[in-house]
Parts: sequence; C-alpha cells; structure tokens
Amino acid sequence: MPQTAAKIETDFAGRQPAVWAIAFAAAMAAIAYCEHRGLLGGWRSLPFVAAATLLLVPLTKAANNRQAAAGALSSATRRYNRRMLIWSLGYVLCLGIAMTVRNYLHPQGALLWGIAFLPSAPMIFFVWTLARYVVEEEDEYLRYRQTSAALIGLALVLLAGTLWGFLETFGVVPHVPAWWVVPVWAIGLGLGQMIMASAERRAGRT
Amino acid sequence: MKNRLKVLRAERDWSQQDLAERLEVSRQSVNAIETGKYDPSLPLAFRIADLFDMRIEEIFLRD
Repeated sequence: MPQTAAKIETDFAGRQPAVWAIAFAAAMAAIAYCEHRGLLGGWRSLPFVAAATLLLVPLTKAANNRQAAAGALSSATRRYNRRMLIWSLGYVLCLGIAMTVRNYLHPQGALLWGIAFLPSAPMIFFVWTLARYVVEEEDEYLRYRQTSAALIGLALVLLAGTLWGFLETFGVVPHVPAWWVVPVWAIGLGLGQMIMASAERRAGRT
Repeated sequence: MKNRLKVLRAERDWSQQDLAERLEVSRQSVNAIETGKYDPSLPLAFRIADLFDMRIEEIFLRD
C-alpha cells in the first residue's frame, strides 16, 4: 500500500475503537439527559439518536483495523462486524418508524401491536448474526474468545437483571424497561473482550 | 499445557505471522497457544505436529 494511503487509513481508523465507543455512549447519555429535562422526547429525539448511531460506522471501521493490527481479523469476524452494524442501523430505523407511526397515527389494535413489535424485529437478525459467527468462524481461538466474551455479557445481564428485578419488586428502585437487556449485554461483551485482551497482554509478557 | 512452539518457530526463523499463515489460523491464535493462554484442539494440534514433522507429545508437554 502506498505510504500516503496507509497513513490516511491509519489516521481515520487508527483511533482506538474505545474513543468512538465513548463518543457514542456520551452522545446517547446527552440525549437521555435532554429527554429527562424535557428538552427532547419521543420522535423529536430521533434525529439526534440517528446522528449518534452513525458513530457506529467509524467505530466498526476502527474495530476492524484494530483487530487486523492484532492479527485477529478473520473473514468471519469482518462479516460479524458488518452484520452488527447493519443490525444497529436497522434497529434505529425500525424504532424511528414505530415512534413516528405512534405519534402521528395513534394506532390501535393490530397496527399498534405491529409497531410495538417492529423495534424488536431486528433482534432476529442480531441473534442470527451471533449464531452465524459461531458457525462461520474457522479460527478456533477467535471463536473461543468471542463466545467467552458473549458469556461474560450474558453473566452481566443475568446478574444485573436479577438484582434490579428484586430491588424493583421491593420498591427501592424505579422500573426499567426490559429492552435494556441488549445494551447491558453489549456492555458485558465489551468488558469481556477487554478482560481477555488484558489476559493476553499479561500472558505475552511472561 | 507447556509447548515448544516458540522454540521450533525460532529454529526455522519464522515469525508468528509466518506460522499463522502455514497453519491457516490468526496470528493471535499462534500467540495465545505459544504463551500457554490457549490449548489447541486435537485437530489443530495434529496440524501443528504435521507442519513440524513431529509427534504431538514432542511439541506439547504436560505441566
């Protein structure tokens, strides 16, 4: 690769994926804060949520480059990252459609059920993406690494869900919608990958 | 499980990337096996043994 092209590639995605992840989380937190203060809410939040979601594009690109630099980018990993990006964008699109229809058409009956289901529909693709990765990944260590991180995410969901559920039952915390399981799982997945990367660095030093 | 992968690789003047390409695995896999972070499956252990023209127990050692 010519040096200039390589530099551009590095400049764009050489930033740590964590930088993009923090930018995404900060944008979402800012939107949530504005909603809490009544500055945003419902469909008015959607353009901001959509803009924040676009940060997932450079995040995916940076993650690909980081994995390639670490010698851990298989074709299955590349497909997994691309599918997860498609899922994220599809989720925001479906959520936007559902909220817009609800706010403008005030549907009842079957249509209300339909739009209530719509944001969950991309989860079918999400679960399929997880399953396809396990099937398609030919590198056994990368498969072990990813499934271990996913299990750490699952552990976090189970622990946090059970703990919060009982705290809620006893009336000491407010209600949290069940769709929070996916963001919590994703946080656990990220933590799992950080734990495994740290263990690899420690093993590499010994 | 201990192994002699790093030594065998060094004897042939192969980088981790060279070995990864010969085994058709990621460089991170080679690193994880070399450092004892990950024990390969039996099929991969056989591929490693075949590549070095050795028996598995000559490469992988009991702790």
